Amino acid sequence: MMGWGSGAVRDEEKLSSSQARQVVRRSLRMLRPYRRQVTVALVVLVVYTLAMLAGPLMVRLGIDRGLQAHDALVLNLAVVGYLVAAAVAVVLGRTQITLITRVGESFLRDLRVRVFDHLQAMGMTFFDSQPAGRLVSRMTSDVDALQTLVQQGLVMFIQNALLFVATIVVLVVLSPVLAAVCLAAMPVVVVASIRFRRDSNVAYLTVRDRVGQTLSTLQESLSGIRVVQAFAREESQNEVFVSHNRAQLDANLRAVRISARYFPVIELAGIGTMAIIVGVGGVLVHDSFITVGTVAAFALYLTNLFEPIQQLSQLFNTVQQAGAALKKLFDLLDVPSDLTERPGAVDLPETGELLVEDVGFAYDGRAQVLADVNLAVRPGERLALVGPTGAGKSTLAKLMARMYDPGEGRIGYGGVDLRDATFSSLRHRIVVVPQEGFLFDGTIFENVAIGRRGADEEAVRRALRLIGVEERFQALPQGLATAVRERGSRLSAGERQLVSLARAALADPAVLVLDEATSSLDPGTEADVERAMAGLMQGRTVVVIAHRLSTAERADRVAVVDHGELVEEGTHDQLLADRGRYAALFASWAGEQQRRHPSDLAEDAVVSS
Amino acid sequence: MSARRERPSRAGWQLLARAVKDQRNWVVLGVTAGLFWTGAKVAVPTLAQLAIDRGIISRDHGALLEWSLAILGVGIVSAVCTGLRRFYAFGISYRAETDLRDRLFAHLQRLHFAFHDHAQTGQLMARAATDLLQVQSFLTLIPITIGNALTVSAVVVILFVTNPGLAALALAALPLINVVAKRFASNIHPVSLELQQQLAEVAGTVEETVVGVRVVKGFGAEAIQGGKLRTRVDRVFERAVLLGRMRASFMPLLDFLPALGLVAVLWYGGHQVLSGHLSVGELVAFMTYILMLIAPLRMLGTIIAMAQRAVASATRIDEVLATHPAIVDRADGQTLPPGHGELRFEEVSFAYLPPEGGQLSDAGMPVLDRLDLHVRPGEAVALVGATGSGKSTVARLVPRFYEVLGGRITIDGADVQDLRLRELRRAVGIVFEDTFLFSDTIRNNISFADPDAPQETVEWAARRAGLHDFVADLPDGYETVVGEQGFALSGGQRQRVALARAILADPRILILDDATSSVDPTKEHEIRAALAAVMKGRTTIVIAHRPATVALADRVVLLDRGRIVAEGTHTELLATSERYRRLLAQSAREEAGSTTPQQDSEALVR
Ligand SMILES: Nc1ncnc2c1ncn2[C@@H]1O[C@H](COP(=O)(O)OP(=O)(O)OP(=O)(O)O)[C@@H](O)[C@H]1O
Ligand SMILES: Nc1ncnc2c1ncn2[C@@H]1O[C@H](COP(=O)(O)OP(=O)(O)OP(=O)(O)O)[C@@H](O)[C@H]1O
Ligand SMILES: [Mg+2]
Ligand SMILES: [Mg+2]
Repeated sequence: MMGWGSGAVRDEEKLSSSQARQVVRRSLRMLRPYRRQVTVALVVLVVYTLAMLAGPLMVRLGIDRGLQAHDALVLNLAVVGYLVAAAVAVVLGRTQITLITRVGESFLRDLRVRVFDHLQAMGMTFFDSQPAGRLVSRMTSDVDALQTLVQQGLVMFIQNALLFVATIVVLVVLSPVLAAVCLAAMPVVVVASIRFRRDSNVAYLTVRDRVGQTLSTLQESLSGIRVVQAFAREESQNEVFVSHNRAQLDANLRAVRISARYFPVIELAGIGTMAIIVGVGGVLVHDSFITVGTVAAFALYLTNLFEPIQQLSQLFNTVQQAGAALKKLFDLLDVPSDLTERPGAVDLPETGELLVEDVGFAYDGRAQVLADVNLAVRPGERLALVGPTGAGKSTLAKLMARMYDPGEGRIGYGGVDLRDATFSSLRHRIVVVPQEGFLFDGTIFENVAIGRRGADEEAVRRALRLIGVEERFQALPQGLATAVRERGSRLSAGERQLVSLARAALADPAVLVLDEATSSLDPGTEADVERAMAGLMQGRTVVVIAHRLSTAERADRVAVVDHGELVEEGTHDQLLADRGRYAALFASWAGEQQRRHPSDLAEDAVVSS
Repeated sequence: MSARRERPSRAGWQLLARAVKDQRNWVVLGVTAGLFWTGAKVAVPTLAQLAIDRGIISRDHGALLEWSLAILGVGIVSAVCTGLRRFYAFGISYRAETDLRDRLFAHLQRLHFAFHDHAQTGQLMARAATDLLQVQSFLTLIPITIGNALTVSAVVVILFVTNPGLAALALAALPLINVVAKRFASNIHPVSLELQQQLAEVAGTVEETVVGVRVVKGFGAEAIQGGKLRTRVDRVFERAVLLGRMRASFMPLLDFLPALGLVAVLWYGGHQVLSGHLSVGELVAFMTYILMLIAPLRMLGTIIAMAQRAVASATRIDEVLATHPAIVDRADGQTLPPGHGELRFEEVSFAYLPPEGGQLSDAGMPVLDRLDLHVRPGEAVALVGATGSGKSTVARLVPRFYEVLGGRITIDGADVQDLRLRELRRAVGIVFEDTFLFSDTIRNNISFADPDAPQETVEWAARRAGLHDFVADLPDGYETVVGEQGFALSGGQRQRVALARAILADPRILILDDATSSVDPTKEHEIRAALAAVMKGRTTIVIAHRPATVALADRVVLLDRGRIVAEGTHTELLATSERYRRLLAQSAREEAGSTTPQQDSEALVR
């Protein structure tokens, strides 16, 4: 639920007119498949609005030609006319709303799917550069803003605009003089509306911003609640929250004050114009310029004149918001994926050698992380990658699965450069269990099933059985249907890793990269799982990254990464004998034991001499 | 939370009533402004009618001017009052909303771990966002509705007084507006709730995919997630289109019904004018009045549905507020007795229970089974055991994050249940196995326990955690912002920040739950040296899987299925306990054999 916490960036919210044009053009392009429905909807909308306008015209007809002229027939005609217009409006109104929602919602469905697919196609560099909350809010609050527009705003906006324009036209036709008088108050209204639009937009953005702040404070303190309670810091968290909440209230009240100043202007303009119509219209009637019926029609049309302005001003925020949201979404769609499948990409072979050649890499705009790395992993081999924190082990692992492309050099499998491989074969053959294991808020079954598309219960059970944990999870009161809850908090740290490992067993790839995937397991279980995985991966390739050098010890070969370079390579025994970096690391690994137990040390000294 | 019981909505009403009562002065002001507004508004058509009849039709310039000015005057009153009414109405609702949100937050802070284990963050966020919004919009409507109801009654009275027959005819169709609006609102309510639900599920899929992107990519699960999203997006589409169809069948009706009234007036009234029973002005006034009724009647129709929604929301909020924090100070809470951190578990039994109202089948198996453990003041004990054996559970019980089911835990002789929570938790410093850092500077993260700590203390703690050199090299040093929105620390670095945070708290008892699992051996070696200084004279529980870390402790306790199965020094256990050797994946032979090169390389390191 990170979408809550996205503090809006102000600049993003305002569209220049050229940007607005662009957004409109692009939306129209996306609407092209629905061209016919859109055209029909617009025609219907116009006719509908005209039908709405016909009512007061009939009243005028009835009063002038019927009542003043004492002609009952005309009066009855006017009545029937009004009735027909109203009935037509019902039918058209219904068609119009149905059409517009359908088109709008289809547009939104396309947009959601496109944005999501686009997100999924992005490389990791992109995800590194964007806070998750912001990406989520693109798909939530931004698309929701559009949905609000589609469901409530759009029809009203168009209708009100049409109504306003049409009303003015009718007024001018009825009596240009009275219309001119009637529009006397208009400049005031226009100025007030423009100011309101501007101020309320700023106020609205401030509110949005503050709401974002309040909610992200709440979200963070919910995620960190255990730390807060552990250090008994509830009170200070409260203070922080109350101040954000207060700021939100202030912003809201400011927005209210702005509208509480604007609405009276419209109200006064409306009633004031009524006074003018009656006053001036009366004089005009006295002078026989116009009829009483015209005055009556004007009075009735008044609502059509001022209500739309008020509604438009209020709707403007919704529209502006939706425009800004669309722009952000289009901008997102415009970010090209840094990882694309080349045209003519080939499938990776079933088996082969994983070859890292002269690879250099830097995260976007940062210092070099890997330089000149050369490494060959044969099928059936088990390679351990070790080295100090921040050396670049995880980075190398991610390159092997093409989560990033190397800056220099290349990585190939079975003779095919990963950049020339189809994604489907790549993701199928090479699987990484990332360091940051992540359980989804679902059941154990669902979490394992992520490992392979269309995996059924039996396949999931087999995977669990393979790493020897089926019974453990089956023994839970709800078995595999046990919900692991957010971030897997229902399970112990090691159990969470076991679920991740079962995923890998289910995926059953040609190359398996385990990035500290067993760091929370007890060494006994770890060894069991490793053995099971080794059985599964017979004849295929495993790369393990571990700080526990017992794991390295069991591997066929060890490669030591330090400061982004491959500094040593060889079997455990060779490297120990070389007394280089690995030997030093290994010494720290088990060294402390000896210092604390001099007796052991003495014994060993005897042995080694 | 997960298994929601139907709470009586009375609780929701009470919550709303209390919110209104807290704002009663504003409510009175808002209603008063609404009254004046209604009066002014209702006067306008009558004045216009008088102007037409006495001014225009009787060709009286003076009267025309008078009545026009009267309309203008009334317009001013109406304008001022509409502004005030708006201001008060929103003032009431926003203040009430803010108060409720403050309460909600403070309450959530106090709720126990077990509650948070079961609550979904998204759900709690929805309480503070969507549900409060419902309540707020409803509260806004209260003064406005009172004004509207008055308008409707006033207009109806006026119409009947002027011309009962015409009034009856004109108003015949109008109650239908109310009926239709009510039906519309209540039909649409369940569908829009479903739509909200579907939207939330779309959001959930997006969130898990983005947050878990490494897993999704690592396993090539894009197609699975894409399929999931499409299903959910289709559901949203379906509901939204259905909603559109409902709107399409109701909304035009809401426009049609008042038109019927107008047509009736025009027809019947027109003939009355023709027969001389009605003036043209009266006819126009009648029509204006009918137009005036439309908006309030529509609103009165929707308010009922809004009220239902608001009460449902208020009930959900109340559900959280009514959950009693299970772990609170006793009335006679004791202060922590002086001492050096002697820790005792006496026959402690424990199981993770479902929250009140949850299903019993959710209850876990017993996790701790009459566990006895005695840690002497200043002693360092390593807690070792297989995955899921209950080590972290032992750690969580000391600061009383959960209540024991049997037995007791004492610190320096005092039962933790008798101690004041704040003091207890100040006395126990814990580093969790899952590192959580706040989106804040490194400095503020480290000094979380004591925000006023001077920079030297922060640096001292960072040094002890093996973090200082790294931080000092960062461009912004201790002011570097970390966490989701900030600088990406590696797993090992994050753990060390959490370690520094606990060290700075200077607790009587320090608990390290697998706190160095992501740190490389060399670095860990360095930290171990610094930690030894921190641990000196401080009661410490170390949960670890690495032999070298375990060896740091004075004593090792082997846990299996919530019971202690072996105790002794690391070397003793290696020698005597087969289970221990198996757990650390070390055979006695291996241990002895592998030391030869180690010792040599040790020399090399120095
Ligand atoms: N997404 C990223 N963006 C920028 N820099 C990064 C990113 N991930 C890692 N780094 C930096 O790259 C370097 C290598 O990181 P990497 O995660 O590969 O180390 P590692 O060897 O796996 O360390 P550890 O043992 O702590 O997991 C580190 O200095 C780290 O700060
Ligand atoms: N919040 C919880 N709700 C229900 N059951 C839980 C919860 N946390 C842990 N458990 C269960 O309690 C048992 C003990 O868990 P605990 O976290 O104490 O294990 P652990 O010894 O720390 O394991 P690890 O070495 O994997 O961290 C496990 O079987 C686990 O599934
Ligand atoms: Mg790593
Ligand atoms: Mg644990």
